[in-house]
Amino acid sequence: MDLTIRIAGAAGQGVETTGDLLVEVFADQGIHCLSTQTYMSRIRGGVNSYDVRISDREIFSGRERADMLIALNEKTLNWFSEKLTEDGIALYSGADKGADQSKVIAIDLEKVATEVGGSAIMANIVAAGAIFSIVGHDIGSLEDHIRSHFQHKGKGIVNANIACARKGAELVGEHAGRLNAPIHGDAPTGICSGNEAVGLAAATAGIKFATGYPMTPSTGVLTYLANAADKYGLVVEQAEDEIAAINMICGATYAGVPAMTTTSGGGFALMVEGISLAGMLELPIFVFLGQRPGPATGLPTRTAQQDLLFAVHAGHGEFPRAVFAPGTPQQCYDLTRHGIEIAHKHQSPVILISDQFLADVRKNCPGLDDTYRPVDRHIVENPPEDYLRYAVTESGLSPRALPGSSAFVVLDSDEHDEDGHITDHIPTRVKMQDKRMRKYAGLLEDLIRPQWYGPEDAGHVLVTWGSAYGPCREAVDYLVHTDESIAMLHFAQLWPLDGAAIADMIGDRHVTVVECNQTGQLGRLLRQVGALADFALMGKYDGLPFTADEIIRRIQ
Amino acid sequence: MMKDKPFFDTDIAWCPGCGNLPILKTFDKAIYAAGVDRKKLVLVSGIGQAAKLPHYTQANVFNGLHGRALPAATGIKLANHDLEVVITSGDGDMYGEGGNHLIHNIRRNIGVKAFVHNNQVYGLTKGQASPTSDPGFTTKLQVHGVASLPFNPLAIAIVEQCSFVARSFAGDREHLQAMMVAALEHKGGFALLDILQPCVTYNKVNTYQWYKARVTPIDEDHNPYDRDKALQLALTWGERIPVGIIYKHDRPTFESQFPPLQNAPLVSRYGEL
Repeated sequence: MDLTIRIAGAAGQGVETTGDLLVEVFADQGIHCLSTQTYMSRIRGGVNSYDVRISDREIFSGRERADMLIALNEKTLNWFSEKLTEDGIALYSGADKGADQSKVIAIDLEKVATEVGGSAIMANIVAAGAIFSIVGHDIGSLEDHIRSHFQHKGKGIVNANIACARKGAELVGEHAGRLNAPIHGDAPTGICSGNEAVGLAAATAGIKFATGYPMTPSTGVLTYLANAADKYGLVVEQAEDEIAAINMICGATYAGVPAMTTTSGGGFALMVEGISLAGMLELPIFVFLGQRPGPATGLPTRTAQQDLLFAVHAGHGEFPRAVFAPGTPQQCYDLTRHGIEIAHKHQSPVILISDQFLADVRKNCPGLDDTYRPVDRHIVENPPEDYLRYAVTESGLSPRALPGSSAFVVLDSDEHDEDGHITDHIPTRVKMQDKRMRKYAGLLEDLIRPQWYGPEDAGHVLVTWGSAYGPCREAVDYLVHTDESIAMLHFAQLWPLDGAAIADMIGDRHVTVVECNQTGQLGRLLRQVGALADFALMGKYDGLPFTADEIIRRIQ
Repeated sequence: MMKDKPFFDTDIAWCPGCGNLPILKTFDKAIYAAGVDRKKLVLVSGIGQAAKLPHYTQANVFNGLHGRALPAATGIKLANHDLEVVITSGDGDMYGEGGNHLIHNIRRNIGVKAFVHNNQVYGLTKGQASPTSDPGFTTKLQVHGVASLPFNPLAIAIVEQCSFVARSFAGDREHLQAMMVAALEHKGGFALLDILQPCVTYNKVNTYQWYKARVTPIDEDHNPYDRDKALQLALTWGERIPVGIIYKHDRPTFESQFPPLQNAPLVSRYGEL
């Protein structure tokens, strides 16, 4: 059983409120759900949509077609009707315009809400009542949700909302129970978005200082941290620009506080000199890069995977770094914590790449640990008087002390000697550059290898990274039941890479690189490290995320 | 406490007679006079001749990127507000490349002291105009003379209600030390000390003699809390250049306004909440 409900309307019409409500009520009943959002870069008007997919098994991708469309205005009814499944049904908020009543139910949601004693903003509750009835759910669970969420607003508000829900359910008439949906399940009842998972992981891992300049789709992480600041004892600062944001965290990490910054492609471009600074100063900064389509301002609210090569190569000069890209909210949590640990263990900048699709996706998550478990900062507590911040060692890692301790800690963006002071002595330069680059050996020891999914003897492998995980995984799940001999290789760590080991995994299989860009950036990166020679590219750069449907269609 | 002359035995990159030399010597005396514990002192700089100063004394050092001394210093102060964070950098670094950060950190009132060596010319890159060069100043790059008006750091700071604004002159070490000590002892947030500094190699106009003929200490009865008078002083540049504590404004420091920083520095409360 698998059902997609698409709520569409203008910005400001409550699309997100309605979608969030559905997700929460379905998840409360242990039903697997996954929501995705598309929206325009505007505060009012336009066309926004919010898909809620529910299933009796775990799901990882949105669908192309919806089984039910909730069109909050005529424009979205026209826009999305053709994306309904054959048996699908539309609920149109407005007066009946004589459409085929077996396909379109017209209910003026706002009018109904006010008629039953509620207010216009309760239109989404009328819609929810109608939806629950159409998918054959008892609206008792919706009523319970209303009671627990609106209790603090008083009995009158609770009763008005319940009246709205009941009226919505009643008005669908003979369409009640028309669509099949899972009723109960054993999925985790908690819901988490990609950005929430990053924020929670950062706060619990000991990030004490977070900076950023607001930029979609990264802002949600900074907002999450700002709201968690008092609980976890951290400081969040909206910087005057991204250059300040990254230099601030360089300062804070020097002083011993784990720190991160959040941005998207354009802001990341401004931060690039700071990435290089962290490489030279060997500072454990953590950068969250939420991608959206470029070049330049591009499509500010859409999704893309176009900044992989940019992130892997960002910064002038040569220095070690690690780059990660989670595929699910759970991986967002795990890799954020891991990334902060790696940054400190290897005294190097770490970049975590997400995108609008993953930032906004909401999915059942088993309870993510919200206890404070600060990562090891690998700090020398009482350095000797003759302490050298950049002492040359075999591993390349020099003992890290903090300013304000028993020794001076000297850092310079110029080439420096072991004491941190400026030099342009040529042999010293070579010695120090070699020392820094030796840290790559340690980074490779901690490498997260790509995940193989599907039959091991598959002749064709979908090679992908980051947020394309879910759609590819579902495509494999479907295709293994067809004639295709197919598997997935998913990269959650994008740098450094072990080219020889990847080449062994891929062998002589046919490779299709699946990524949300036009030029096959992962494919090119794997070629650069000698992991593969030829690949076919399934790219996508229309600003929308992959769905399993699209991948299956394009493979067949 | 260390002596007032902690000079490193190091190869100083400045020209003989450079205005940075008296600033360095005076700085070391001021640190001693103000009773600053050098182990708690962090010198932050960007790039330029002035930005090399931290390498020629004893302190913790963050010599970062060009123009970015202020955001780095802000991050350091927020992470550990027990540290004395002092920026020593030049006019190109602080008023040109880093101008935006100057404006916004004055707004924040972060507890950082900025000593800006202002020689009205670029030394490191060998003689181009700086944001404070006077109009008409000719260089190898500004061949027809500087066409833009100079940046007025003091006026900007006063308009933005900077908590401490002062000016001094590298050629008057007694005055300079008094200003540095006053800035170091200022506990009310961001302090801007603009230090007029001759460049003996690339600025043949604004020489020691040129400054000496113009630099005039402010009247002792000047009330630094009088914003209008302060602005008049900041706008005075020509036959007379006022030096001294020009403006003060009392308001909470940036770091005093975050609940997590109330009891102890962020860095010392890492292990537990």
